[in-house]
Amino acid sequence: MQQTVLSKVLVLENDPDCLDHLKQFCDTTGLIGVRVNPGHVVKVLSSTLDLGAILLAENYAGTRTETRVLARYIRHSRPELPIFLRLDNPAEGDTADDLTTFASGIYTREDISPLKQSLDRYLFSLLYPDSLVNGIMELSMNALSQQFTDLDVSCCQPSLVRDRIIFGEVFTLIPLESSWFKGYMLLQTGEAGIMQRVQAGDPSGGPGRIDFRRVNNVLSEVTNLIWGAFKNRYIPADDPGTRSPVQVPIVINHAHQYVSFGSDHPHLCFEYTLKNRIGEAVVCFQQWFVFNLNWSPERFREIPEAMADLVESGELELF
Amino acid sequence: MGKILIVDDSSTVRDEVGGFLSRNGLDTLTAVDGRDGLEKIRTDPAIRLVVCDVNMPNMDGLTMVEKVRSELGNALVNIIMLTTESNPNMKERGKAAGVRGWIVKPFKGESVLETFKKLST
Repeated sequence: MQQTVLSKVLVLENDPDCLDHLKQFCDTTGLIGVRVNPGHVVKVLSSTLDLGAILLAENYAGTRTETRVLARYIRHSRPELPIFLRLDNPAEGDTADDLTTFASGIYTREDISPLKQSLDRYLFSLLYPDSLVNGIMELSMNALSQQFTDLDVSCCQPSLVRDRIIFGEVFTLIPLESSWFKGYMLLQTGEAGIMQRVQAGDPSGGPGRIDFRRVNNVLSEVTNLIWGAFKNRYIPADDPGTRSPVQVPIVINHAHQYVSFGSDHPHLCFEYTLKNRIGEAVVCFQQWFVFNLNWSPERFREIPEAMADLVESGELELF
Repeated sequence: MGKILIVDDSSTVRDEVGGFLSRNGLDTLTAVDGRDGLEKIRTDPAIRLVVCDVNMPNMDGLTMVEKVRSELGNALVNIIMLTTESNPNMKERGKAAGVRGWIVKPFKGESVLETFKKLST
């Protein structure tokens, strides 16, 4: 089963001819275009669409000035999304606050080819081998099927996303590291579906009191299953890039303002209060040290050179 | 005087260092990670000094330095690392890659300004 990775783009365009061209363009370049009316743009931008970029016509909001206002709003609220601008006259407008200053790429009605270059640069800049993409889908669907034995698992076509908006209410993070990649897997979901299953007696939730923590447990276990399968498939045991094969998922439930590192041990916690000159607390930081994977205090030591460096930080050491 | 490129994934650091140097009459530009920095060095021959973090996503600073010297063949641009790292092994790696100097954060502009001016000419 071959899958091509796609990306979703928000299409802010009213011209019928341009829309036709863009549709053909999207069909041939692995894009899914999502159209939205001008009155709904703000609402759409705050929702979870998993967008990769925005295609904006210079007259989408009426006049170029009105579109500039929209572009500024997009840049302010969603700076991670590149804006590719269609201009009828690219030579127009060289003021510092011009519409073009918000654009990561510009194309015209007559020549759409610069859009392909911009997309390659901003969206398809990382090559994800098809075999990896298919493999991830396969092992993840297997893990979900193992966890939810009476449910059918399906997967949409994979996509490239620049969004930073969290989906759902609870998610896990787990590091992934090898000699050729280093990063994280994030797995996120809503509480309600899993909670219903747990309350209905689904054994996958495990024993114990039924509350949001059971959802965390289920998600944590699924994360473990996928992570384990991923490692078995893509990280050889003797991979030189793996410092330690041990990891546990971090579970964050932002609906309940809850985080778990998987360990029952208490965290070492520091609280810092920054006050202004009249003694009012302005900023507070809470710092946790969570040594959830290893803690051997009998081997504690300090590095004298590093302690000296603390005094000399900020100085330039020339070689 | 040439340009100074500040490479750091932290916008706070880019603003702080870039702002200080600009206020003192230096021409600056910024990059958000090693990959971005490498591209800017490749395309702008006016860059004479690079101030670069180590720990960055997409491409770390030391890898960027190594690629500047090997892939771009650029031995002229001066590179100073500005980083939280003080590990001697990392400094040795930097030195071997052709880094000119090392600053452990935080950045103290006044103490390095004259040196930066000299290194950017």
